[in-house]
Amino acid sequence: MDTKRLILALAISFGILAVFTVVQEKFFPHPAPSPAQTVQQAKEAAGTKQAAIEAGAPGTAQSAPANGPRLAVDAPMLKGSIGLTGAVFDDVVLKGYHETIAKDSPLVQIEGRRGGDTPSYAQFGWTAPDGVKVPDNSTVWTPSAQTLTPGSPVTLSWDNGQGLTFQLLLKIDDKFMFTVIQNVVNHGAAPVKLYPWSRVVRDYQPKVASSWVLFDGPLGVFNGTLKQEGYGALKSEGEKKAGGVAYSTSGPGGWAGITDKYWLTAVVPTQSATMNATMSYGTVSDGDGGAYQTSFITQTPLDVPAGGQAGFTSHLFTGAKVVKILDQYQSQYQIPAFYKAVDFGHLYFLTKPIFFCLDWLNTLTGNFGLAIIIFTIGVKLLFFPLASYSYRSMGRMKAMQPKIAALKEQYKDDSTKLQQATMELYRSEKINPASGCLPMVVQIPVFFALYKVIFITIEMRHAPFFGWLHDLSAPDPTNIFNLFGLIPFDPMSINPILHVGLLPIIMGGTMYLQQKLNPAPADPAQQKMFQFMPVIFTFMLARSPAGLVLYWTCNNILSVGQQWLIMRRAMAPKQTVPAKG
Amino acid sequence: MSPAALLLSGAVRAYELTLRPVIGANCRFYPSCSAYAREALACHGAGRGSLLAAKRILRCHPFNAGGYDPVPTPKDS
Repeated sequence: MDTKRLILALAISFGILAVFTVVQEKFFPHPAPSPAQTVQQAKEAAGTKQAAIEAGAPGTAQSAPANGPRLAVDAPMLKGSIGLTGAVFDDVVLKGYHETIAKDSPLVQIEGRRGGDTPSYAQFGWTAPDGVKVPDNSTVWTPSAQTLTPGSPVTLSWDNGQGLTFQLLLKIDDKFMFTVIQNVVNHGAAPVKLYPWSRVVRDYQPKVASSWVLFDGPLGVFNGTLKQEGYGALKSEGEKKAGGVAYSTSGPGGWAGITDKYWLTAVVPTQSATMNATMSYGTVSDGDGGAYQTSFITQTPLDVPAGGQAGFTSHLFTGAKVVKILDQYQSQYQIPAFYKAVDFGHLYFLTKPIFFCLDWLNTLTGNFGLAIIIFTIGVKLLFFPLASYSYRSMGRMKAMQPKIAALKEQYKDDSTKLQQATMELYRSEKINPASGCLPMVVQIPVFFALYKVIFITIEMRHAPFFGWLHDLSAPDPTNIFNLFGLIPFDPMSINPILHVGLLPIIMGGTMYLQQKLNPAPADPAQQKMFQFMPVIFTFMLARSPAGLVLYWTCNNILSVGQQWLIMRRAMAPKQTVPAKG
Repeated sequence: MSPAALLLSGAVRAYELTLRPVIGANCRFYPSCSAYAREALACHGAGRGSLLAAKRILRCHPFNAGGYDPVPTPKDS
């Protein structure tokens, strides 16, 4: 081969590789789950400790003191405490989820205390239209018991000294849901009007980068429609508007909160009540100085008659976005589209069924890797008749070889003419080896949906396969550039691109094999890309979750197998007929 | 070409150089669907070009014989 052209091809492919690194960095963020989030969570945990030291520091004057009395919370799937100063839900640890795959790693902390580096919390309160004294951030509430558990609800109460007793009736279930009844008892002689509100606040921006595959940040469902407002958009919109309100709407019920890739904190008001919902950004003295907030407030005030009482019920979800649990709450409390907290995307009609299929296979086999493999085989089987149909006439294809050879001779200097003539021949002989573009176009959304499902769902988190793959949601941990750990050095310290595990290499190999069976395109530029695609893809997928690479590898192997099977079937009967009469 | 047609044409070219080598060439026609799309965009503009390309892809399945299928020439006499 012409050396110059080879060098050019190499240069082009490395150029593309470099571009892909940048693109990948931006759009396929480094399987953010583990590294980035762990750092963030570790920071959160550290922040809590730091908060204890910094309690009462001048910078936190405006916020409630991080410490002070607390109400312990202990439920089967979560534990933590509620700060009685201001009644803030700022300390929730998930019992079933560790930060890393190591069994002794810290549990995931999804809320962070005020005054720390990563304050993140939910809060319930009242707004009074006419100067009635309502509880605020410095209000110290009195609990009716020491610990909140599923079996023992707790009431927080506070007397405003003007004849009103404010109460928060707290319940927790055996999963991730609090029930909060905001009750007001009026001992006075005059009726009072109050607007109960609830909010989810994050006084810092998490380091996890959003991408076009994955949303994280403030979100909610209002009037049945999902609204996602990324941190960046919320900040820039909020800075332009009065009061930092970037988005507001009103309607019946809904839900609103702030989500991470795997975790969600959301408030859910009574669905029959008409609520004003807002998403806002403001500056605070806590965290990194910026506060992201989603909140609800009732549109019409709650009437508390003289000598009577009135309550408003909300729910608070603080937990892992396990689809089954979200679905359960959705039907239990009639929460509109609560499952959309998982970023199923616009293709949810594809991603959701695919997810349920994978999840079902996972419970059946007990291994998510096996579930992916079985699913891939299923998809291949589904499209097999289509592929096989186009190869039906492969036998006659062989008989036609002389005609094609003749065309090749005739148009040896004009590849365009040759292709055109070959296609015409296929048409007149009613045979055609390609299965067509339409089946491919139909399959692409399925591929993408599967990619998305593997990328976003918590069910994949820390799910092991076999051998060296302990977490399918993280990249293959092995690296060829230090000979799979034989050389004690981290090549990624030179350039993050220098990480290619064993599974991605197998993937690249199978891709090369598959291409070998396909005719090369006529366009020289495409031909070059064709040659280097396995290499580029190996590097690109090396940093994707191992589950995806497993899927891709499996798909390639099946494609090769399918092609081999069809060719054999198509060719075999003809071979029994003597070729030369 | 109009900016819209140019943009669409660029997108098709990007597909040819990235995605197509991955999923393989499967077209049953000459010119291939992507080449057809670029030619249609160039000759007929963004709107009609896109329509022609979409119709071509819908034709490109195993139950159609395929073969030589050039972009129709514009009839703007």
